[in-house]
Amino acid sequence: MRVVIAEDDALLREGLSLLLKTAGIEVVAAVDNAEDFLAFIEGDRPDAVVMDVRMPPTHRDEGLRAAVRAREIHPALPVLVLSAHVETSYAVELLADGVGGVGYLLKERVGKVERFLDALERVAKGGTAMDPEVIGRLMSRRRAADPLAALTAREREVLALMAEGYNNGTIAELLVVSDGAVLKHIRNIFAKLGLPSDEGGGHRRVLAVLAYLGRDAG
Amino acid sequence: MGRWIRGSASTTTRVGWNTGVVTTRLRECWSAVRYLAVGAGTSLLSIFALAGLFAVLLLCAVGVGIPALAPAIRLSRWPVAADRRRAARRLGEAIPEPYRDGSPLKDPATRRDLAWLAIHAATGLFIGSLAIGLPLGAVQQVVTAFVWPAVPGGIEASLGIMVNSWPQAGLAVLSAVAMLAATLLLMPRLARRQARTAQRLLAPAPGVVLADRVAELTATRAAALEAHGAELRRIERDLHDGTQARIAAVVLQLGIAGQLYDRDPATVRDLLVKAQDTATDALAELRTVVRSIYPPLLSERGLAGAVRALGERSPVPVTVTVEYETGRPAAVEAAAYFVVAETLANVTKHADASEVDVSLGGTTGVLRLEIRDDGRGGADETRGSGLAGIRRRAEAFDGTMSLTSPPGGPTVLRVELPCGS
Repeated sequence: MRVVIAEDDALLREGLSLLLKTAGIEVVAAVDNAEDFLAFIEGDRPDAVVMDVRMPPTHRDEGLRAAVRAREIHPALPVLVLSAHVETSYAVELLADGVGGVGYLLKERVGKVERFLDALERVAKGGTAMDPEVIGRLMSRRRAADPLAALTAREREVLALMAEGYNNGTIAELLVVSDGAVLKHIRNIFAKLGLPSDEGGGHRRVLAVLAYLGRDAG
Repeated sequence: MGRWIRGSASTTTRVGWNTGVVTTRLRECWSAVRYLAVGAGTSLLSIFALAGLFAVLLLCAVGVGIPALAPAIRLSRWPVAADRRRAARRLGEAIPEPYRDGSPLKDPATRRDLAWLAIHAATGLFIGSLAIGLPLGAVQQVVTAFVWPAVPGGIEASLGIMVNSWPQAGLAVLSAVAMLAATLLLMPRLARRQARTAQRLLAPAPGVVLADRVAELTATRAAALEAHGAELRRIERDLHDGTQARIAAVVLQLGIAGQLYDRDPATVRDLLVKAQDTATDALAELRTVVRSIYPPLLSERGLAGAVRALGERSPVPVTVTVEYETGRPAAVEAAAYFVVAETLANVTKHADASEVDVSLGGTTGVLRLEIRDDGRGGADETRGSGLAGIRRRAEAFDGTMSLTSPPGGPTVLRVELPCGS
């Protein structure tokens, strides 16, 4: 896998490079600002991009805008956005084009190396990796007559993991239950929330769940 | 009169006199006469007021009037208030009341009131009589000039003119013209001067206005400092009890791991995992603290973007209207952000609303916020909701907050924050 890193903090940038190289992933470029990143992207299409949100010169949201721009240059270019904080509105913007290959994680998630690499791989394959904090915020938004209230605690756990982008097998592993049990939970969740039946699988399922959670969230 | 209007353009401009001007002049004069005539009435009241105050002072001299002094001064404010209102109406400018709370004896406005009472008592009645007398006198002269032949021995008109011959009648008409001219020329000026004098004396003295403003700013500044101090203490506590303690734990865990590295690799592995978890918790707490100081979204998206995100996050549907260019002082934008956040939280908790409108606007000098919900209304600032906090936040920036919330709604909260330019 060929990956581009855009991160202005030198320590983090070097750390990420080292971490990816150790895992046998090729880092084709590591830049410290959005302009250099876009210049590189114009001439090359990597398999995935790991991207910081806040970068020079203005230290605002240029990373996020560069990510969206890069996906206009190369449609469905897998992008994993890292940030010191997560905003549900950014998640919604990243997912807006509906083609998948999007990740949005807190920087410290890199520390759980295996899960981070798994997330990067999922994103590179067109899947989704959403930070649990984003999902937690979406799920804790109180609404009038909240349909989520009808879910059992276990079903809520399953829903959250689904929204983060995990497939059934991984969810079963993480919750230490059988694949069959997860399948049953998912059927119940889809029925209770009135979501279309679980035909799409993979990324489309995640999008449906996120769209559901993010409804009214713009 | 028509001839004047039909005259050439140059004639019209040179003479500058047509029916429009005449009616305006007459109307002005009539309103001035009325103003001065009512002024004669208030002048009479002023005389009574001064006489009453004098009587109370005399009683003070014999030692019994002192308790009556303050009420007497308060009573004397009544005719003064009438003149203040009249002058404000005449000049078309608001004249605020200058009085302070507390004893009227110590109020600097009392001395100015007394000055006005004295001036008005001395001049108002006389000027008012002129205003009534001059036009009436003119009418009398003209009537006399025409009816004298019917009266044997003639009639004595005003100004001691004995009308018993046609030349004398002519003199009476001339004097009538002079009286009318005096009315037309003099009365608007006198009315204006009387109103201006009232305005000068009955509005708060310039020094007093400044002093009040200084007192207000001192109070809000003290409150702002107090709030700022409380905020700093809260941040310090959050960092000290949370983040700092956890990072210390991480250092400790790593230290122990270093000690055990050769002897007990299994325990070291556990310690490293624990240290990582603890550091992750510290980061989560740090994020919460950072959000409470200055929301990162404000830096990244500006106030408009951050407020929109607040709206999206709210359980009650929110429409955000922005007529606002970003780039005001960061502290002002942060205050505005927290006002919106607190208000939306209030609406969610208490208002039972189905929609909220947030509008963000203003000029370069002031940032304006309006938050309107269609909930049940009846929001009360005094009943310990977040509203008092919002007012304090606004006042810390020398801003204002106003709230209307009739039972049954809608509730409208307006906040204005000066941007210090």
